Amino acid sequence: MSASYDEVLRRLNKQLETVAELNAEFDESTELVDGLGLDSFKVLDLLLEVEDEFDISIPMNVLADVRTVADMAKRIHELGPKAE
Amino acid sequence: MIEDVTKTINTLPRRLADFDTLTEALDYAASGVTGCNFFDARGKLRDVLTYKKLQQRAQDSAQRLLKLGLTKGERVALIADTEADFIVLFFACRYAGLLPYAMPVPVNLGSHKIYVQQLTGLLRGGEASIAIAPEEFEGFLQEAAADVDHIKWVGTARQLEELEKADVEFTVNSTDEPAYLQFTSGSTRFPQGVVISERAIMSNLQGIVRSGLEVQDGDRCASWLPFYHDMGLVGFVLGPIVSQLTVDYIRTRDFAIRPLQWLRLISRNRCTIAFSPPFGYELCARRVRESDFAELDLSCWRVAGVGAEMIRPSILDNFASVLKPADFSDKAFLPCYGLAEASLAASFSPLGEGLDVMVIDALALAERGVAVRVQSDNRKINSIVNCGKALPEHEIKIVNDAGELQPDLRIGRVLMRGPSLMEGYLNNQEATDSVLCADGWLDTGDLGYIFKENLYLSGRRKDVIIVNGRNIRAQDLEELAEQQPEIRMGDASAFGIEDTEEEQTVVLVVECRISKTSERQSLISILQRLVYESFGIHCVVELVKQHTLPRTSSGKLSRVAARKGFMERADWNQEANHKLSLVSS
Repeated sequence: MSASYDEVLRRLNKQLETVAELNAEFDESTELVDGLGLDSFKVLDLLLEVEDEFDISIPMNVLADVRTVADMAKRIHELGPKAE
Repeated sequence: MIEDVTKTINTLPRRLADFDTLTEALDYAASGVTGCNFFDARGKLRDVLTYKKLQQRAQDSAQRLLKLGLTKGERVALIADTEADFIVLFFACRYAGLLPYAMPVPVNLGSHKIYVQQLTGLLRGGEASIAIAPEEFEGFLQEAAADVDHIKWVGTARQLEELEKADVEFTVNSTDEPAYLQFTSGSTRFPQGVVISERAIMSNLQGIVRSGLEVQDGDRCASWLPFYHDMGLVGFVLGPIVSQLTVDYIRTRDFAIRPLQWLRLISRNRCTIAFSPPFGYELCARRVRESDFAELDLSCWRVAGVGAEMIRPSILDNFASVLKPADFSDKAFLPCYGLAEASLAASFSPLGEGLDVMVIDALALAERGVAVRVQSDNRKINSIVNCGKALPEHEIKIVNDAGELQPDLRIGRVLMRGPSLMEGYLNNQEATDSVLCADGWLDTGDLGYIFKENLYLSGRRKDVIIVNGRNIRAQDLEELAEQQPEIRMGDASAFGIEDTEEEQTVVLVVECRISKTSERQSLISILQRLVYESFGIHCVVELVKQHTLPRTSSGKLSRVAARKGFMERADWNQEANHKLSLVSS
């Protein structure tokens, strides 16, 4: 069974906290690059974590339209992520 | 069902790039058993394209392209993901007498808009009649092509296969005709297309596989390099075909996320030849863990090529020491120098000798333009890597700004001559004339010196800032900035701006994510102090948001474009002094 959107968001938030190394407040509308300050290395780290955690492969065309935390969670949800 | 991976050992006698054209080379390779293997992010085989199948599929697609009513030499733009389809379509174009060129895939988060703009620029710049994308990028391509009037057909490889076939006999390509375009320098809106002839590419490939790599039986390649980059296309698509080598690919994206897959592929398939810019080696060294060594045996890796950016020895030294437990030999490093205007390769260092670094006095380099060898004790030094000798039949020389030949160890402009050079930039005689001289010499735009016939690169000429008669390398300023914990490698760009009194102002633009005003202010002060301490010059520091600095399709920072952007932001020409005080305060 694949994970619900809320579950995806909860698990993604946890990963963002580790990768971004900050305690800053963020929500679904926070931008990954400008809001969380993810540089290109950190984006790669995040993708690795996400792909392993949810057992999915995120295609490049999808990433071009990912700006916010919610964008990312929606795309992961569409890819049929593994439930916990 | 996917077939087995193609073998390393071929059934054919090896021929090393002694063909007239690319299609002739493929026709020969197609009678053997070697080819391309495509692996996924977890190392599983996802596709196999033997050279025999490549020939069949390319000839089939060529007939369908010809049905679209194209005339010889019309341009076909291909979004080049690491897929069998790209290689098939590239060769389909050559069988059909058309001129292919590769376009990049999007790489950054949220880059949709910028990427579409980039594609539009490339479709216009190459005057494409046909544009083809993998399914997942078709939407971007359709958007980009909407405003381009010379396009006759846009679609995917699958859609092309649904078209009828022309059933015409292919004409033989001549060695003089253009073989493909390689887009390189230039801005996003006006990219520069390098025109490479069949003769030039085969001559370059011959130099690469015979003298640079000395390809031999038992060789096998592994690559993650993008097909839209000259090193990926010429080095690891065309190179293996003209020497009938099997090559194992992983996607660039997969390498970036899981760099060790590249090393695992080399280890598992006993690959002998693999290249990367220095940052690829850096990514690997950053990710490798003790537990990875059990499945890594890199003793087979004969040629670990290094090119595409200035080589910093420390990155490679670190890779070699980290990967020593996997039996990686630092003697495998093969520094080389090349540029798209010379097809790909210009010089190779000797095989099997590893890095040869000359430590020189930084002050003598900056102030007098000479390489003075020193011990690295207390002075400021530059470590310059030996990039070897020019390919056979090619010459490299160093001249000063007056065009006079320079003696050994004196820094000047690097010029190159030989059969691998481009015809010129597409539809841009002015740009062509600015780099290609009537006597056949190409001005590479790089700075360096020769020592005992070997080339040492010290930087890009366009990127040397002359302040009060001193040469300051932009790269040195950038490296200084990058040493700050808040600043990542490749996030700083330095350049000079001349005002009306011909005074040079040195500008350092830095991408950074700090938002607090006081912290930004303190970073600016630190950088200005560092630059003053190191070079004795005052500089303007501008902090900008991430992704502000323009990059080329190969990911290199474009200092020329960064300078233009800065001047626009600062409205430099109107109120230079006023704005200067604003950005530096």
